[in-house]
Amino acid sequence: MVGSEYVEMIPSPDKTIWSAEVNGSAVDVLAPSNAILLDVLRNQVGTLGVKRGCDLGTCGCCTVMIDGSPRLSCLCLAGQVQGTSIITVEGLSEGAHLAPIQSCFSKHGGSQCGFCTPGFLISAQALLNENDAPTHQEIACAIEGNLCRCTGYQQIIDSIQAAASIHRGETMPDAPASDPHPDPHPSGPEEPNMPPGHAR
Amino acid sequence: MTGGYRQQPGGAGPTTRKDGKRVAGKQAFPPPGSGGSDPVMKPRDLDFIPESVGGKEPQPAGSHIHDRARTGTTVGKEIPLVDSNAKVTGQAWYGDDVRLPNEIIGKILRSPHHYARIKSIDTTRVEALPGVIAVATGEDSPHRFGVLPVTKDEHAMAVEKVRHVGDLVACVAAIDEATAMAALNLFDIEWEILEPVFDPKKGLEDTDEPIHWRGKYHLARTNVQKRVFQEFGDRSLVETPHAESHGKWSMAGVHHGFTEPHAVVAHWDPNGRLQLYTPQQVPHYTHRALSTVLDVPMHQINVIRTFVGGGFGGKSDPFPHEMCAAMLSRKSGRPVRITFDREEVYWINRGRHPSHIEVKMSADEDARISGFDIDALIDGGGFASFGHVTSYYNGVLATAPYELGSFHYTGARVWTNKPASGAMRGHGAVNTRCAVEVGLDEMAETMQVDPIDLRLANLLPPHSRTITGFRITSNGMRQALEQVREGSNWDTKFRQLPLGKGIGIGCGFFISGSGLPIHWDPNRFPHATVHIQVDMDGGVTVHTGAADIGQGSTTAVAQVIAEVLALPIEMIHVRSHESDTSPVDLGSYSSRVTFMNANAAIRAALEIRDKILNAAWEILGYHPDNLVLNDRRIYYKHDPAIGVSYLKALHKAQEDKGSLIASGAYRSPPMGGVHKGAAAGLAPAYSFSSYVAEVDVDVETGIIRCTNVWAAHDCGKALNPLAVKGQIIGSCHMGLGQVLSEQMVYGRTGHLQNANLLDYKIPSVHEMPHVEPIIIESSDPEGPFGAKEAGEGPLLPILPAVVNAVYDAIGIRLRTLPLTPDVVFKGIERAIRKLKIDDPCDLPSPRLEHGPLQAKLVARATEHNVRDRARQRTEDTSPYVNGVLFGFDPNIPLEDQVEGWRTATEPDPEQLAALGLAGRAWLKKEQRQMGGEN
Repeated sequence: MVGSEYVEMIPSPDKTIWSAEVNGSAVDVLAPSNAILLDVLRNQVGTLGVKRGCDLGTCGCCTVMIDGSPRLSCLCLAGQVQGTSIITVEGLSEGAHLAPIQSCFSKHGGSQCGFCTPGFLISAQALLNENDAPTHQEIACAIEGNLCRCTGYQQIIDSIQAAASIHRGETMPDAPASDPHPDPHPSGPEEPNMPPGHAR
Repeated sequence: MTGGYRQQPGGAGPTTRKDGKRVAGKQAFPPPGSGGSDPVMKPRDLDFIPESVGGKEPQPAGSHIHDRARTGTTVGKEIPLVDSNAKVTGQAWYGDDVRLPNEIIGKILRSPHHYARIKSIDTTRVEALPGVIAVATGEDSPHRFGVLPVTKDEHAMAVEKVRHVGDLVACVAAIDEATAMAALNLFDIEWEILEPVFDPKKGLEDTDEPIHWRGKYHLARTNVQKRVFQEFGDRSLVETPHAESHGKWSMAGVHHGFTEPHAVVAHWDPNGRLQLYTPQQVPHYTHRALSTVLDVPMHQINVIRTFVGGGFGGKSDPFPHEMCAAMLSRKSGRPVRITFDREEVYWINRGRHPSHIEVKMSADEDARISGFDIDALIDGGGFASFGHVTSYYNGVLATAPYELGSFHYTGARVWTNKPASGAMRGHGAVNTRCAVEVGLDEMAETMQVDPIDLRLANLLPPHSRTITGFRITSNGMRQALEQVREGSNWDTKFRQLPLGKGIGIGCGFFISGSGLPIHWDPNRFPHATVHIQVDMDGGVTVHTGAADIGQGSTTAVAQVIAEVLALPIEMIHVRSHESDTSPVDLGSYSSRVTFMNANAAIRAALEIRDKILNAAWEILGYHPDNLVLNDRRIYYKHDPAIGVSYLKALHKAQEDKGSLIASGAYRSPPMGGVHKGAAAGLAPAYSFSSYVAEVDVDVETGIIRCTNVWAAHDCGKALNPLAVKGQIIGSCHMGLGQVLSEQMVYGRTGHLQNANLLDYKIPSVHEMPHVEPIIIESSDPEGPFGAKEAGEGPLLPILPAVVNAVYDAIGIRLRTLPLTPDVVFKGIERAIRKLKIDDPCDLPSPRLEHGPLQAKLVARATEHNVRDRARQRTEDTSPYVNGVLFGFDPNIPLEDQVEGWRTATEPDPEQLAALGLAGRAWLKKEQRQMGGEN
């Protein structure tokens, strides 16, 4: 931002109550009436998983699901989406259960630096909600609005395909990492579990 | 386990006496901690234990010094990044996600002028604005800093003059962003506009007001920041060339394009310590620079590396905004957060240098490469950054993987009034590599040979030395070339595809860790240090400064420790965020982390392992040589039933001492020549890669589509194939952007016109070809378990592979990057005018008729294949230096064998007239030689 005149972002004098359902809970926050949805989500609601990458709707990092469809929160005035149901990356998992799309991104290398990941997850989840057997081309079209600089997209597409397979019920999802361990206080295995290659 | 843990040793008996009274101190208490989540020991995974130590993992490149530390636990397995669950749930905290209580927002005033002197700054009106809490200008810190100690030329904010549009002038912190933005309008600044320089060629000339002044080391009155001359080898070989290639390249500057804009949070705590949160690849440099700029000792600063949303070299300089945040926090006593918008990311830049490169090369009648002549003029922008090194890398990293008769390089980096260029993935090597590989393709065509065979017959073998003295250890170049040839069906496609379809080859060579740590003598202080602590619970805490920028360095360190100690990876906890807790580490640049930190980690883990094995020896009575360390259990080699759990042995080892602590360090071996600049490009190991790309070119519109890439990369040993493949595909993506669409566009007025992600064209998912990653494992003798880098090298070959494929498709050599449709279309227009045809669809496709040299090359390649295999497996340990191919004896210094063998770092006076564009910098004298001011 350079130039002789800086655009002043005068906070509108009338802060208004902005209410919506974010990740399943009703949220009422006081926000400037001209606020951008991305700012409200990050600064007022506190869902910092929604990332700011470009402010121009070009990178897709700020993608959130509004009433089920993926939208760029940086191009959306908060006032426009009053009363809608918004899902951010924080709302994908069910308690400690990572959503299949999340565990698959983790497992198949869909996330490297991870900054674009929340946006990709939302775009991909929106696709899987509609279509649990997407083709390569359908996946590409669903994530075309998201830029990733690390992965070259290939492992992201692999991850989405793996998640689709869980959605179709062909593969079982993983148990959450925070589940009670089968043996919480073992002192390490004691039983002689004969290793191969080491005959007496 | 029987007995359990008792408060007193040996107290497995009843806790009450015969008379019924309780015995004090004999109550059972729960065993401390766990031995991991799985109650059953996993059997040894022989598929991941090398053949040389009794496993089944094949070792085509021979055994490795770390083989005995292998337990088959994690190395070589596809393991998700250990921090990926935080990333997929939105819980990873990047720069702007650090929200401290009572924070205020900082904003930076940036220069609207390309080049101007600041006559005065009046901040009265800013300070009077309600809500403004602190203001800082250049006057607050006169100290210079810079990433390299030899070129400190930056200030936190402009002192005296601004050097490019977007240069920092002042900063302000206010209660909210809106107030801070409003305050930026209230600075009253008096400017004196100076004449800017934008064209790097003009930067070579004398000017009234050079952008920086280096005193007695300044080159006349030019804007040349660094000039390099290197000449090695037998120059008489190039006098009678059999084949030649000569090309002049113009390459646009490109940006890293990481998705996370820079952000920083500074908090000067009440004890007078600065806590600085920043997404940095190299927190240690920031640490040093902060100390200089702020006049506080380093121990009073804690640099906390947040998660880094992509770095690629763009977050490896200490940045002025980090100083600004610290100054504002010092003034206000409150945490200050500064976040860039996307435009500011381009003003701070540090992307790849816009370059003018000229490459001449020649081959003799045996198709040996008799000489590379490279001239690189690179546009450094307003500051030095890593440019000193880049100036060398543009030449010296082109000296391998081929054996050369001679090498001649002139390079110059000039300051211009544009945002500073710096280090970017494939630092300095990418542009010249592209030019060189395309030149080889052209020479192959002149000699009527297959370009892959030309390369195969001219490779340096493993365990050899390059012409400038780099020590090559493992070298998988040959396998890489062979595998992409086979995978792509090269022999049925090359020069046989119809017009508009093409296939091309490119190779790459890159350092795996820079041989010299920038700030200290490598003989006196190690490159990397890793601390390990194992406490009662059995979990392993690792302290390292390795900066994970998404490449998975944390995972790599955790993996090698898990491997050595045979523990599940979830038992390894890597702490790498804070400079307070991590040992000094140079961070993530020069592809050093896996090589150096994992090596240090292995050393530390081996120390812990020895302690645990010794404890097991005490318990079991068998010497550690006869013990097997397996998944959380140590047992007697010849009778697995005799064993002890990891935790029991650990507790035995902890008797008297408490938690086990070990420290491991990595130091590179002494290497390299003694000539000026010999240290540039030195590395303990080098990676090699080779790609074949297939493209479709629309001859009517000039649009290029890359459809398939076969990407073979020699990473020594893939510690984590999932991560290596991710790096290879990601490198392809970034290189493809540079060759096809990405460029920083500067207008006629010198203004950057596309400082946003809409006009700066990063390939989207639709532009990505299918990439077939092929991992070559040459097992580096000094790498951790044989590993070398995989993060930067894989970027190099994609550029020339695509450019060569475009030639194969339409028969036109293009030497302007990026190959946007307008560049390609202009090339097509020129070609049809020259060939006097009307329709571009009538363009002739290039065809190859093998000449007499082809058979000779194939024979030589076959012979070399045998030689390389023997050397790789160290069955042949005879010395080999660059020049043996030309008949020289490797045992006698080449200077003694060849009259006129050159090792020059300055041109002879009679050479001056013939030097290339960048070489013209050698026509100037330094101030001290001119009797100028000191």
